[in-house]
Amino acid sequence: MEIQGAIDGAVAEVGTVLLGKEAQVRLALCCLLSRGHLLIEDLPGMGKTTLSHALAEVLGLSYKRVQFTSDLLPADILGVSVFDRNEASFSFHPGPIFTQVLLADEINRTTPRTQSALLEAMAEGQVTIEGETRPLPEPFFVIATQNPIHQSGTYPLPESQLDRFLMRLQLGYPDPQAERQMFLSKHSGQFSTAPLRRCVTPEQLSEFRAAVVQVHVTDTLLDYLQRLVAFTRQSREFAVGLSPRGALALLDCARTWAFMDGRGHVVPEDLQAVLAAVAGHRLIPSGDYAGDGQALVDLLQRSVDVIGR
Amino acid sequence: MKAAVGAASLIPRNALVWIILSQFALLLPHLGRLPVWVVLVYLSTAVWRLLAYQGRVSFPGRWARVGLIGAGFAAIFLSYGNLLGLEPTVALLLTAFALKLLELVKRKDAYVLIFLGYFICVTAFLFTQDILLVLYSLFTLLLVTTALVALHRPGEHRFRVDTLRLPALMLAQAFPLMLVLFFLFPRIGPLWTVPVKSHAARTGVSDFMKPGDISSLSQSDEVAFRAEFEGDIPPRSELYWRGLVFSVLDDGAWRSLRYHELPGAEMRQQATEPAGPELSYSVLMMPTQQNWLYSLRYARARQSGVIPTPDFRLFSPVEIEDQLRYRVSSWPQTPLETELSDWRRSTELVLPATGNPRSRELAAELHAASTSDAAFVDAVLAHFNRENFVYTLQPPLLSGPDPMDQFLFQSRRGFCEHYAYAFTLMMRAAGVPARVVAGYQGGEINPVNGTVIVHQFDAHAWSEVWLEGQGWVRVDPTGAVSPDRIELGLEQALAGEGSFLANSPLSPLRYRSVNWVNMLRLRYDALTYRWQSWVVGFNSEEQYSLLQDLFGSVRAQTFVIIVLASGALVLVPVAWLLLGRHRRRPLDPAQQLYLAFCARLVRRGLARERGEGPRAFCQRVAHADPALGRWARDFTEGFEQLAYTGSAAGGSARQQQLRNLRQQLQRMPGTS
Repeated sequence: MEIQGAIDGAVAEVGTVLLGKEAQVRLALCCLLSRGHLLIEDLPGMGKTTLSHALAEVLGLSYKRVQFTSDLLPADILGVSVFDRNEASFSFHPGPIFTQVLLADEINRTTPRTQSALLEAMAEGQVTIEGETRPLPEPFFVIATQNPIHQSGTYPLPESQLDRFLMRLQLGYPDPQAERQMFLSKHSGQFSTAPLRRCVTPEQLSEFRAAVVQVHVTDTLLDYLQRLVAFTRQSREFAVGLSPRGALALLDCARTWAFMDGRGHVVPEDLQAVLAAVAGHRLIPSGDYAGDGQALVDLLQRSVDVIGR
Repeated sequence: MKAAVGAASLIPRNALVWIILSQFALLLPHLGRLPVWVVLVYLSTAVWRLLAYQGRVSFPGRWARVGLIGAGFAAIFLSYGNLLGLEPTVALLLTAFALKLLELVKRKDAYVLIFLGYFICVTAFLFTQDILLVLYSLFTLLLVTTALVALHRPGEHRFRVDTLRLPALMLAQAFPLMLVLFFLFPRIGPLWTVPVKSHAARTGVSDFMKPGDISSLSQSDEVAFRAEFEGDIPPRSELYWRGLVFSVLDDGAWRSLRYHELPGAEMRQQATEPAGPELSYSVLMMPTQQNWLYSLRYARARQSGVIPTPDFRLFSPVEIEDQLRYRVSSWPQTPLETELSDWRRSTELVLPATGNPRSRELAAELHAASTSDAAFVDAVLAHFNRENFVYTLQPPLLSGPDPMDQFLFQSRRGFCEHYAYAFTLMMRAAGVPARVVAGYQGGEINPVNGTVIVHQFDAHAWSEVWLEGQGWVRVDPTGAVSPDRIELGLEQALAGEGSFLANSPLSPLRYRSVNWVNMLRLRYDALTYRWQSWVVGFNSEEQYSLLQDLFGSVRAQTFVIIVLASGALVLVPVAWLLLGRHRRRPLDPAQQLYLAFCARLVRRGLARERGEGPRAFCQRVAHADPALGRWARDFTEGFEQLAYTGSAAGGSARQQQLRNLRQQLQRMPGTS
């Protein structure tokens, strides 16, 4: 199918700048194609910015980047009205948020106030500045990166705001082979000099959305999804189970994943493929469980049988 | 002792109200037996407790409580004259139950009160086991259980009627188990008994009769027994229920022969050949605390445990403390004791040496004028008929050494025992063997179920005369005076006098002429008869015969199995329902097939992980055992088609796919 070919092409294209991370790239694409915002969490220098920039390029979307610092103010993102002496009126200078893909770099280094301004825009798809509501471009994706929260000088995002991100990805260190290839590559670290090929057109993007909702989901699969969700709500390892929004996100992403795989129906493996990225940041271990969210996802996947009622 | 009490241990207001309600409900069936002050105690403790709840008055202190208990004991002693016996002890229990309300501070106290309430519920059955009481007790049971449920719902500060819902459901659930326990649980006799009946009045005809005894019994509308005939019911003028035979006139009163007064040869009933048609019937007798049973003449019991006596009655060796059902056959036309022994003849002729001279004179006179004993009997009856005797429930008191002279020549007003007494006296005076027979005459036929209801007011006394060649012949002198008594019953016989049940204005029997009241009464009596025969009368013998009917011979082993199995029969569905609520729905056929597929692979050492999806597992299988890989892939594809694509939602296509998948499962490659 044409669209699947385009997606495979996009994954391959991103793979030329971010080596050996095909799975994460697919997940990131899946997130964006599901119309969700993406949170990439990892140590500095792992390729977070590279990934987000490459994604914007292959999707052919306008792209802006804001480096979040502790003194960044909401107006710095949203824009300001400035008095124009010639026109004798205020004119609005839009901020960097008026773009299709916004890379919010190191979002947890800025204050909760600025974080909130961004997260509100993510949820609403519009911003309200000085009493005037302005729509954001369509589509609008936020790719936020954050350092692991135990680093100094960070304001961790609260759970309620983490929930606004459809997926959270962790890139991890590249495997030695890929790293070696990166060393040899003359392009390493210099993506800006060679722009990536645009693989997906805006038309294809909207076609894609229409096709994804056609992906078939059977009762058997929904049973599995509900067992997964019920497990997070009932087991004592979980302080907080998956919300209905979380469950819906899981299903959405599984549909996209199935479609990206060229299928018209969802299989349990689709759910499992997106489970860690979608559920990992939404699950909170209870006090007597030693593991983190990722360990919880593993536990969840191991504990709930695919077959059953 | 007003220690601070934690909120959790306090009694919710809702529970308090239910407790007080159930207290009054428990009191109600005892009302007729209790002195009025007990009701006042209930009212005042309830008011006191409610005021204490509002904080307007305080709970009584220790000494006040001791004083109240002492006062309760004293008041019961004063009301009943003693503290032992059934009624005073129940009154004591009920008073303590009311006073306990004043100690009701913590939940612990409420538990004591509620469990005591269950016990008090049972005490009502010590007095009567009427079906209405049973229904009422179900209601009180519900109230007490509701109080218990309300106690477990903290924080309900308002009275709520809907608290009833859960206990009603619980009792309904317990009902089948109750039936099983009722019918099947072994009825073990009590290991020890308290003589609770010692103060209960002995009712019915006594083994001692002097003028006035039976007329006082006729004031009672209680049921003496009910009889159910297997064939047609004989006419009521033939229904002479013999209970006692009075052969000894002693000190102005008739009494029966004591067993030890009988010579050895007379201790057994004379062999008698039944003659004439047979009447088969069963009698359900109310407890009398006596030993004798009632039957029509020449009766033979059709069950063990009933002894025939030499004077042709039936006798139970144990006192009838519970209602008793016995089956009898009677042959009314059988001549009794055609050969009279010398001892018997002389015994049935004995009269006191002196007394009633004019009566004896009259007897001698009439006997001399008669050609035979039978003619003499007729002459005496004719005398009663002719001489303006009156049949009445209110005869004048007879006193002095010659009561029968007084009756025969002065008052001429008497009840059946007067006539039987006078007649028998005259017979004996003239040398004809005669005796008084006491029992019941007639009875009311209930058209609803065809039983004969015999009330206490049907009590009657008549005579038996021994005539040469005929044996003992029944003679009822009352019939000569008031034929209505025999033909129509006491009420009609006394219609002019208005004395029938004069002391019980509310008895439904007084309103027999009102049609619907009468019909209602008869229907209720039919229901009571069933209730008494099947529920109250369900004793260990009935239980044994029921089990024998159902299961053949019953040994201890089978009995235990039956009890356990029937308990399980009730409890297993309940358990199944309860567990089923949490049980998962059965798997759909596609998933069942997939599990079968996994089970086959387990035998090849390839077990699917819990969270492993079909595709991932298939890959693993193909990797581990390439021989199986193709088969596994085909099967997994088929399964995915069925379970996840939803392409074959329709019936027949899906069935076809399932068949294919099943076949695919069978095609598993063998081990190489």
